[in-house]
Amino acid sequence: MEIVKYLVNNPNLIAFDNQEIINNAKIFIKNNHLLFRSGKEFFIFLDNYDKYSELNLDIKENQNIKIYLITYQSRNFKIKYNFNVSSNAKLEVFTNFLSKRKTTASIALDFTLGENAYLKLLNALTFKGRIELSSLVNLNGKNAKTEIELLNVGGNDSEYFVNQTVNHNEIATLSDINNWLISTDNSKLKYTVTGKIVKGMEHSKCHQSNKGIMLASDSEIMVEPKLLIDEYDVEASHGAAIGQMDELQLYYLLSRGLSVQEAKSLIITGYTNPFINMINNQEVAKQLTSQISRLIRRKTNNE
Amino acid sequence: MTLEIKDLYVSIEDNLILKGLNLKVNGGETHAIMGPNGTGKSTLAQICMGHPSYKIESGDILLDGESIVEKTVDERSRMGLFLAMQNPIEVPGVTNFDFVKAAVQTRMAKDEHLRIGRFILKFEKASQDLKMGQGLAHRFLNQGFSGGEKKRNEILQMKMLNPRFAFLDEIDSGLDVDALKLVGENVTEQKSPNLGLILITHYQRLLDYIVPDFVHIMINGKIVMTGKEELIKHIDQEGYDWVKKDLGIDDEDKKPYSLGTCPSKH
Ligand SMILES: Nc1ncnc2c1ncn2[C@@H]1O[C@H](COP(=O)(O)OP(=O)(O)O)[C@@H](O)[C@H]1O
Ligand SMILES: [Mg+2]
Repeated sequence: MEIVKYLVNNPNLIAFDNQEIINNAKIFIKNNHLLFRSGKEFFIFLDNYDKYSELNLDIKENQNIKIYLITYQSRNFKIKYNFNVSSNAKLEVFTNFLSKRKTTASIALDFTLGENAYLKLLNALTFKGRIELSSLVNLNGKNAKTEIELLNVGGNDSEYFVNQTVNHNEIATLSDINNWLISTDNSKLKYTVTGKIVKGMEHSKCHQSNKGIMLASDSEIMVEPKLLIDEYDVEASHGAAIGQMDELQLYYLLSRGLSVQEAKSLIITGYTNPFINMINNQEVAKQLTSQISRLIRRKTNNE
Repeated sequence: MTLEIKDLYVSIEDNLILKGLNLKVNGGETHAIMGPNGTGKSTLAQICMGHPSYKIESGDILLDGESIVEKTVDERSRMGLFLAMQNPIEVPGVTNFDFVKAAVQTRMAKDEHLRIGRFILKFEKASQDLKMGQGLAHRFLNQGFSGGEKKRNEILQMKMLNPRFAFLDEIDSGLDVDALKLVGENVTEQKSPNLGLILITHYQRLLDYIVPDFVHIMINGKIVMTGKEELIKHIDQEGYDWVKKDLGIDDEDKKPYSLGTCPSKH
């Protein structure tokens, strides 16, 4: 097993690969069920583990935990994670799916939220190859809330197919999705972002915003925002701003002497930082920062 | 040390805005350019900085005798040009601190290292001088700033970068009397033989605080009159109509006026 260095000795780690499970965190495992009994912060690491095609994660009532889900594959893989978030539980999930070389991945993240449950989902995507990511959140309890933040820095001419869906199946449920998309080369980012409010689910709020910067002439970012609202007494909105880098912002920085490369990377950093600042774990944030700056530097140096 | 603009014609989207403008600024001098709205004052400042939307049709801009029209925007900045913009741009996500730090670093020699402690002290001092408030370093560049804060932030940058020639484009608009006084003091304090200042304004009030050596009146894309302080008062009391009348400038059909008397300084 090749656990990334900064995780190896982490006491809150559970790691899976073909041969073994390393359960530093002493999480209760039964078949493919992980039960989080106590504790606040867990790291789940997967490296070419193909024994399970599904992994179930149960968050108990009133629990408040953070999960860092990090995979590092060198082979093609397909997996589904089912999160059951019980009433009054608070869950924060950070994901970063990485690949050693260009691979194909298909990942599904399914969440079911009970009454008053809260989910914050942070998806970082710097995958190399071709990835299909689907996240589905079912707000099944009254007052259930979710906030989804996604930062996709596309590089290595990779392809990202992302499908995000939030279903408001109860009254007074809230969802807020913010996607920050960057294509640094001819990588393709294709997104479908769906918010659905079922009839009768009044006082619900469903928002999404999609922002994208295309850094190369052959970059591709496509976003299809969908709001399926079948109830009158709700709030819903979507916004999208996708394009080249703002020329006036660039001019302003150049006018203070920054080179084109310096100015561009500063603007992009400004774009990625708000996401990175939301990551509580400093080491995880640091890793992501350096992955991103490698991708950006490659791009801005070429000019 | 000179900045010289020679018979400059500039257009934007096929509209000719500057129509044969001449101006020469020496180190240590302060020039005020006054003129009605839409006359091309900002165009002049932006073309000197190298704004991508403006196009030079003919003429030249010389810094210490060398043409800079082929230089990129960042090169001009590093050569010592500065423009405090009429409408400073908001850059979300980029902090003031990182921005100013990058701007200072890019001016340093390859083997030179930024002494971060010293830089922080200088930044905080400049921030206090301009009453920018405590959290400025970590606020995003101009985002959510009031009009006055944006203007003061431009002057802060000027203090940090020590330019050789600085255009201040309507730095007075959006400032109340106290802020105007503050900006005036901070700019005046920077006056030196190594700084040429070009103040663009259409009010007298800024010039109470930053005293110009020369006052130019610009109408329809060129400087039509040059004088000293007495011009300011005249304009403040009577506007620009008398200038147009004196020189026979007709606003309606913007025909070129044939006056050989537009005194070009120096
Ligand atoms: N993007 C643009 N496209 C077309 N005309 C413009 C543009 N920007 C400015 N202008 C015109 O250029 C002229 C000069 O503008 P400006 O230099 O801003 O004047 P001032 O600063 O003296 O008020 C004005 O008539 C204005 O309408
Ligand atoms: Mg103007």
